[in-house]
Amino acid sequence: MKKILQFISKIQIGDLFTIIIFIVLTTYLSSILWNFPQGEYLKIDMGKQEIGSFSLNQNVTKVIEGPVGKTEVIIDSGKVRISKSPCTKKYCIHQGWINQINQSIVCVPNQIYISIIGNQTDYDSLNY
Amino acid sequence: MTRSIIKIINQDHKVAKLTAIAIALSLIEFFFPSPIPGVKPGIANIIILFTIIKFDFVTAVWVSIIRVFIVSIIVGTFLGPTFFLSLAGSIFSLLFLFIFKGINGKYFSVISLSVIAAFAHIIGQLLIVRFWIIPHDGIFYLLPIFMISALFFGLVNGIVTRSLLNLNINK
Repeated sequence: MKKILQFISKIQIGDLFTIIIFIVLTTYLSSILWNFPQGEYLKIDMGKQEIGSFSLNQNVTKVIEGPVGKTEVIIDSGKVRISKSPCTKKYCIHQGWINQINQSIVCVPNQIYISIIGNQTDYDSLNY
Repeated sequence: MTRSIIKIINQDHKVAKLTAIAIALSLIEFFFPSPIPGVKPGIANIIILFTIIKFDFVTAVWVSIIRVFIVSIIVGTFLGPTFFLSLAGSIFSLLFLFIFKGINGKYFSVISLSVIAAFAHIIGQLLIVRFWIIPHDGIFYLLPIFMISALFFGLVNGIVTRSLLNLNINK
């Protein structure tokens, strides 16, 4: 403990300055770079047909009739998940909430594809 | 036919000794698994910083560049992407150290230099990655992770270098 205190007292003022500058730079750049755009609309597709786009700023439950059965999609002010699905593996339910642009949930047996879209389009690394 | 005579001067011995230590440190680091891919402590930089302060900048350039070549040959990444990443990182580090080495003195110590060198290293590597290996802006999402690790390991390396310099090794 004494050694640590001794060490801290020996740190020069310029070093402190450098460390603070780099901490500020790191936090600033992190806040810019990790500012992921939030989505505006939820797009629901069933097979090849588009069911529609719904605003994310509401609390509703949509029930979609697919080839296997009924899939329940919950929109909860900005975030979306699938709550009920007739499929066997339930991957779509386990995926949980999505809220960012270009995130999507797919339920293959029921041919449901829901994705979040926004006013501005983000990079799509899968199709790019 | 005249024999070419290579005179081995004191400088060469110095470079050889320091490079040997730097290579050993790099290899130790290589065999330890890293928790995040691409994040490494860079303990060989301790030797580079030590050389800059204790001796001169030219010696440090020699040590740094020779280390990159030898380590890549030993590890087997010579002329591969990893080698160029390493080289770019080292060159950028040296460039920034050349600019900032004058600040070492009353107010700034080798800790500042170490942090600057660590950041220069990731800048160099990211530029190579961005323009050659993965030409996509997505890699800049990783920048904060690299910056935090550069800050942390730069500090640690700087502290180690300063204690090393305080030991007054005269060889």
